[in-house]
Amino acid sequence: MTRLTGGVIDHETALRFTFNGKTYSGRKGDTLASALLANGVQLVGRSFKYHRPRGVLSAGSEEPNALVTLRGGAREEPNTRATVTELFDGLVARSQNHVGPLHRDVMAVNDLLSPLFASGFYYKTFMWPRAFWEKLYEPLIRHAAGLGRLSGEADPDAYDKGFLHCDLLVIGGGAAGLAAALAAGRAGVKVILADEDFQFGGRLLAETHQLDGMPATSWVTAVMAELSGLENVRLMPRTTVFGAYDHGIYGAVERVSDHVSAADGEVRQTLWRITAKRSVLAAGATERHIPFPNNDRPGIMLAGAMRAYANRWAASPTRHPSDPVIIFTNNDDGHRTATDLLAKGVPVTAVVDPRDDAPTFGAYELITGVVDDTKGRLGLTSVRVTQNGQSRWMPCGALGVSGGWNPNVHLSSHHRSKPVWDEALLAFVPGKDLPNGMIVAGAAVGQGTTAKALRSGMEAAVSSLAALGISAERIDLPDADDTAAAQTAFWHVSRKGRAWVDFQNDVTVKDIVLAHQENMRPVEHLKRWTTLGMATDQGKTSNISALAVMAELTGKSLPETGTTIFRPPYTGVTLSVLGGGDTGKHFRPTRYTPTHQWSASQGATFVEVGAWLRAQYFVQPGETHWRQSVDREVLAVRRGVGLCDVTTLGKIDVQGPDAAEFLNRIYCNMMGTLAVGRVRYGLMLREDGHAYDDGTCARLSENHFVVTTTTANAALVYRNMEFARQCLWPDLNVSLISTTDAWAQIAVAGPNSRTLLSRVVDGFDLSNEVFPFMACAELTVCGGLRARLFRISFSGELAYEIAVPARYGNALMERLAQVGADLGATPYGTEALGVMRIEKGHAAGSELNGQTTAQMLSLGRMVSEKKDSIGAVMSRREGLAQDKRRLVGFRPVDKSEAIVAGSHLFTQGETRNTTTDQGWITSAAYSPHVGSSIAIGFLEEGDARMGEVVIAANPLEGREVRVEVVSPHFVDPEGGRLRD
Amino acid sequence: MLIPHPLLGLRDAQEFTYLGDASLLNRPDASSPDAAVAFYDYVYLRDNPAGVHRELWFHEQGDRSWLIVTRNTLTHEILNAELAFKSAVKSEVLA
Amino acid sequence: MTDLMAITALGAVAPYEFQIGGLVIRENTELALASLSLGRGQGAPTILGTSMPDVGQWQAGPEVSAFWTAPNQWFIEGQGRAHEDFAAIVKAAAPDCAVTEQTDGWVAFDVYSNDGFKPLEGLLEKLVNIDLDGFEVGTALRTGLHHMSVYLIRRSDTHVTIMGMRTFAAALCHALESTAVRLR
Repeated sequence: MTRLTGGVIDHETALRFTFNGKTYSGRKGDTLASALLANGVQLVGRSFKYHRPRGVLSAGSEEPNALVTLRGGAREEPNTRATVTELFDGLVARSQNHVGPLHRDVMAVNDLLSPLFASGFYYKTFMWPRAFWEKLYEPLIRHAAGLGRLSGEADPDAYDKGFLHCDLLVIGGGAAGLAAALAAGRAGVKVILADEDFQFGGRLLAETHQLDGMPATSWVTAVMAELSGLENVRLMPRTTVFGAYDHGIYGAVERVSDHVSAADGEVRQTLWRITAKRSVLAAGATERHIPFPNNDRPGIMLAGAMRAYANRWAASPTRHPSDPVIIFTNNDDGHRTATDLLAKGVPVTAVVDPRDDAPTFGAYELITGVVDDTKGRLGLTSVRVTQNGQSRWMPCGALGVSGGWNPNVHLSSHHRSKPVWDEALLAFVPGKDLPNGMIVAGAAVGQGTTAKALRSGMEAAVSSLAALGISAERIDLPDADDTAAAQTAFWHVSRKGRAWVDFQNDVTVKDIVLAHQENMRPVEHLKRWTTLGMATDQGKTSNISALAVMAELTGKSLPETGTTIFRPPYTGVTLSVLGGGDTGKHFRPTRYTPTHQWSASQGATFVEVGAWLRAQYFVQPGETHWRQSVDREVLAVRRGVGLCDVTTLGKIDVQGPDAAEFLNRIYCNMMGTLAVGRVRYGLMLREDGHAYDDGTCARLSENHFVVTTTTANAALVYRNMEFARQCLWPDLNVSLISTTDAWAQIAVAGPNSRTLLSRVVDGFDLSNEVFPFMACAELTVCGGLRARLFRISFSGELAYEIAVPARYGNALMERLAQVGADLGATPYGTEALGVMRIEKGHAAGSELNGQTTAQMLSLGRMVSEKKDSIGAVMSRREGLAQDKRRLVGFRPVDKSEAIVAGSHLFTQGETRNTTTDQGWITSAAYSPHVGSSIAIGFLEEGDARMGEVVIAANPLEGREVRVEVVSPHFVDPEGGRLRD
Repeated sequence: MLIPHPLLGLRDAQEFTYLGDASLLNRPDASSPDAAVAFYDYVYLRDNPAGVHRELWFHEQGDRSWLIVTRNTLTHEILNAELAFKSAVKSEVLA
Repeated sequence: MTDLMAITALGAVAPYEFQIGGLVIRENTELALASLSLGRGQGAPTILGTSMPDVGQWQAGPEVSAFWTAPNQWFIEGQGRAHEDFAAIVKAAAPDCAVTEQTDGWVAFDVYSNDGFKPLEGLLEKLVNIDLDGFEVGTALRTGLHHMSVYLIRRSDTHVTIMGMRTFAAALCHALESTAVRLR
């Protein structure tokens, strides 16, 4: 055990957890990383490519090495950073990326073969022989790639999403963030304070600085107490703001219950969309390391992280309490780790600093030089220190490395703002053109001393509120340290041997040299060629060091070299939380028809039609194939009477003195002349002249029409009609509203439909004289229920559609079936509906596919020449007007053959290519009426080719059918049935 | 993005459906002799500026108003938003 | 009176009701609705004593209530009148306006809190992307909820009505219930 005293953990509350099957004890307030360190565990994983033993590098979300798999079974979660995993009782963790036990990884042979695996080796090695790629190389690479493995099981946890709005979003709860939140909170505005950590305070928890002569943690506690008491402040710990989007919108993930044992049904994470009028980015800074040979051994960590483990988590970085610690730093801040560790009783033997003028702050040996090699296969045992050309090996149980600090500019750059180089800070700081309303404060903008962080945070809040016209008072800030840490631009140790730059992707200085040799010099090329800065950590600890090496090689300055583009997310976001809480059948909402329950009771099989669930066919006892059901339903309609819910068709109420004129302009055919109490078929064109929707239009009174649309286009037609009303013809006095859901509409079709309806209407005269084909009326049914009746037919039979308030739809359907039993009343679904409309040659979605014109549909004469309407002018242009394809019908010459929709049509004996293509089959079905497969489709000069036999070719399935061109009206071509 | 709806204030762009260039408001006169050419331009030829663009948005999950939104396509800055409805009685209270 | 039996938007005989924590979600099947649009040049009418509210507002009245839905358009509400010909009643009161029956076009869920607005806020922030600070008593608005279109009306400090398209009732109900459950 290397647990120290103090810190901000609860020493009284022990938490048991297992790592690679072994049980350990941690403390409440620990992360998995701090708990492992406190148990003397340095080796926590294997590296990506070379399978090098690795330990904890950092104390935050920038961690490249300490990636573990948490939990098990379906809850198994790979690639989790131990450094941000809040410890809980019963936590189960395993290391990753090794074959065999962690300390004896078989794949470590890769390390010996490292010369073969230099960057770019994929591109060079796996080129030949070509045939090997799919069979050998790719499976091999896929097997080797990645770190953790997915469980392959469905995620059992619940996720949620939500939306928050605030005046000020403060991102980061360290010194700057707390000062900003406090200033804004006291001003009474709506504040959200989010931090990825489970405890607010940021570096204040990790340092020994005093505020007003007291430990900084006391100030944090007091501030948090005040903020918690403010109604207008929402505290969001464990919440990572991962992306800055347009107009002050931020994406954030709150880890609601990742820190407790999973309970069924409890929300694990919530995805928040935060709309903030202003934001303060106080994301702090990330320490960078110094590449030197063999700098990746377990026990080598960032000096600031080492300090955080000692101060906040009371954990020593060594395996044994007596192991000596050495610090290698190019700046004063690294020395602070030495003094803090010494104060905790950790034996720090030396600080190695390349600066000639390096100061000494405590009782340790100061060596002016560098660390240039290390030993200790599974954990650091010694380091080689070189001073004035003299090298010596020094025993060392843990090495803290500091190469300076990089402001966390990420979110400030999500809108492509380029960070700018600050020569004094030796770091990139946020540049111009930040996301709307964002001010960066504290270490994230290079204001890294405690005093500066506090002040800049407060000032950022005051400025943010001033921009909103709110005057916020400046708050009293505690006295704090304001000593800037001196540093030097010392980027890496040039010695023979592999010096890691990017630990996670196993990218070394040599790889960058190679990239330079291969002319992969621009940073974006460097990244993709070497994989530097990719994967879970996105190079947070490595990018700047790599840029410095590349700058050195190219002889350019760092600012000239530039950075890669920062994109969301800041840290990894699980796909589950992006998917949200609604999965499976709840992934998208379902619309049910008003007669759904009755349909289900009648044995309906349902089919998805857009969001709708519609009855497809009704299986009766003894039917073993869907075709039996459909054929029966079709014949029942043609011989007796059928019932079908057609509520899904869009219904738009059009009212006003100019309604008739408006509809004239919407439909290509004349609609304004429609008589009251009559219905007319209408075709709508797009402005480019192609047909896009059709339906009926009923005139209920002089100034009141009801337009029906196809099911699929209901929303689109409404949108387009509103466009016409508001944008094209605002002078027309007309109003529109959708009324699709208000009415349950049932098609009553077949020779017995009139008789059936006469049994439910309240004394309404249904005779052909009074209520002929294409009549409509408002009436009452079943003893006073308001209804609308339309005599329209999709099936070609005598037919009606009756509409009643939706809540009565189910009961009306039931009633019609009941009172029509002796007439053969039969429910039918979309499948029979489709068969009958093909038999009748009616166009539907397959014919109105956006590529066809009124002429092709043989409706060319409908496009009125007497008026302007949407699409009319363009429909007359040459290319469309001369299109000779026409909608015709087809029958197989051999009645036993089936025509397949989508088949292309060719003249017999003609070679088949795109130039000889004669058209295509749009819809096909088995017609029980005809007794064979039938189809409709578009054929060149089709109307002039009746009786000709053409080929319907289906090259996808290697089939073809000889088909005869016939009229598309297979049933009652004269239309006598629907008019009688 | 947030769209500053002239009646309803800032509303999330997710409530809106996008159509395109506001020149679609200027539908040509079908009776003019050059109607064919004018409609060809109207339907197919649009400017696609990198910069300030007047465009049409429909508040589908809202009050069903068509808006003309002036937006800088490079920065997404929204300079103006107005109701496209421009009737003779536009000056009346729309509420 | 018809002898056909009406069912709720969820296909049941009785209205849906669900209680969890401090929230009650109750389907309001007795709410009659009709839309009313002004023709060109018309002034806003008063319907059975209720004047038409301003943009984004809901107006309670003695017999009917009304909320703004679009420029020159409102929904008129008649609590307890779902079985009447409500559109005809509204049309009689405003014969020059375009009136459309909407009662069965929508499902209305009343959500009540027994502990001030806070629990409602907790529910709504998980469902709709609106600034709840501006969602004061008397506000009515339309927005998206789980890819559906809904009207929200803040009727009192502790009562919000969420109206969705009737055929989406099951999906809307699931969204409300599952979200309320996840608030635990």
